[in-house]
Amino acid sequence: MTRSLAGQAALIAVAAVAALIFPQLVNNYWLSVGITALFYAIVAASWALLVGYAGQFSFGQMAFVSMGAYTSGMLARYYDVPIPLGIATGVVLCAATGCVIGYVCLRMRGPYLALFTVAFSEVLRIVLVSEAEVTGGNGGLQIPSLFQGRSDLPYYYLGLALLGGSLALMGWLVRSRWGLFFRAIRENEDAAAAAGVKVVRFRLLAFAIAAMFAGLAGGFFGHYVGILTPDIGSVDQMGLVVAMAVIGGPESLIAATIGAILVEFLLEALRAYEQWRLVLFALVLLLTVRFARNGLLALGADSLLRLVRRQDASAKARTA
Amino acid sequence: MEPLIEARGLCKRFGGILAVDHLALSVEQGELVGLIGPNGSGKTTTINMLTGHLKPTAGEVLLRGERTEGAAPSSFAARKVGRTFQITQLFSRMTVLENMLVPGLARPYSLRSEATRQARGHLEFLGLAKLEGLQAKNLSGGQQKLLELGRALMLDPDILFLDEPFAGVNPFLRDEIIGLIQQLHADGRTFVIVDHDIEAIQRLVKRLVVMARGAKIADGAVEDVSHDPEVLRAYAGV
Repeated sequence: MTRSLAGQAALIAVAAVAALIFPQLVNNYWLSVGITALFYAIVAASWALLVGYAGQFSFGQMAFVSMGAYTSGMLARYYDVPIPLGIATGVVLCAATGCVIGYVCLRMRGPYLALFTVAFSEVLRIVLVSEAEVTGGNGGLQIPSLFQGRSDLPYYYLGLALLGGSLALMGWLVRSRWGLFFRAIRENEDAAAAAGVKVVRFRLLAFAIAAMFAGLAGGFFGHYVGILTPDIGSVDQMGLVVAMAVIGGPESLIAATIGAILVEFLLEALRAYEQWRLVLFALVLLLTVRFARNGLLALGADSLLRLVRRQDASAKARTA
Repeated sequence: MEPLIEARGLCKRFGGILAVDHLALSVEQGELVGLIGPNGSGKTTTINMLTGHLKPTAGEVLLRGERTEGAAPSSFAARKVGRTFQITQLFSRMTVLENMLVPGLARPYSLRSEATRQARGHLEFLGLAKLEGLQAKNLSGGQQKLLELGRALMLDPDILFLDEPFAGVNPFLRDEIIGLIQQLHADGRTFVIVDHDIEAIQRLVKRLVVMARGAKIADGAVEDVSHDPEVLRAYAGV
């Protein structure tokens, strides 16, 4: 095993142990922050899959979160559908809608695609606000909880399992030939098509898969919060997810995940500074986009890797 | 013998401009054809239609006798039609090997191990073997041209359309590319080459097709076409 692989394995092991013992170290408030961070982490990773790997700049990820949450919530509230089945239904609906959005956007790139997905999110949000009789509108819709009892602990471990499972699946996907095709499409659609990649199919797949994970996160988080409001799919929320992924690193699932967790915890830790914390994060975001296009974590990881390689080289030179 | 690829009455209109005007062209298996013409004569548009990158406004494209006009580029690639682009189009932030693996793995039921073995073979042939771990954007212009050719070779193409393979290439690399094309042609591959480097084209091909203002104005042996008055008029404006 090379040093970098061993380092990665060690980091993952440390992160896993830290995540597992986290609830024993914190009070209920921070546990709740942890659950929210896990939710954002799944959404940020799914956005990284769509944007960082497949190159489809979408602003609609939180709309799929909203769709997943409302689908499962309304099925459970109005039809007594078991919550896991409701979440699964939300995931399937998100995948289907993701396909439709992907198809409608086939000829759109960059800012046009982003604007279209913003419009889609707003349409969904306004429908949820307007259809208050069914959705509860801005007043919110109370939905059943996933677990009985008042402890947040089961939600934390379920969120952790969902994040781990989602990352494992997305990680497998990006290392597979589909991941290679996603990146080829991101780099150059014409060249990908000339190389035999079915561009339309893989663009739709990227939208559908990313929407599925967002829907899953939405279903889970909705039943944790217990009350749904249309704001969950707002452009503000999407901006937060984008900031999380960009600060972490949009071209790495792990970096986007860590970015989401760090930003969520820092936002809470700096709550005393009220709106100024948002100014701080906006500045961090601006600096990241200007000086570390692939995210702060990727920049840090690259520097670390260079250091390790330099040490390896000097060690070899000494032995020689 | 049935042509490998054939265009019948092929037209492409961009708004009010007729870029390709009822073009008839057929290429037999094993031919090495040069497609030349002044700027804006419709050469690249023709290649784009013959490889699925543009949908013809009218006319037919027959690949081994089967109508394929309007099919997706990936469908042409699956039918062993390879191409390179006028401006080199690579997957810049992917490695040289990954660039080669994309077409290798796009084939149904292909195995990564087999595709990797094949990719390394082509990289060896093109003299890029030592660069397989480098990101494509870090290659020189000439190396990028070779990589683009290598990526097309991964389709195991029966026919290769090369759009300006000698543009911006130094004379040594140009000779190297000519040698590579000759070797691949000797292996039985069919080529249609678009370029403005008439000397290189004349060294390579036996048949020249000349286009001007979207229409084919000459088609025949290099010696005949080179002295065709209409061709001279199109190039020199006389």
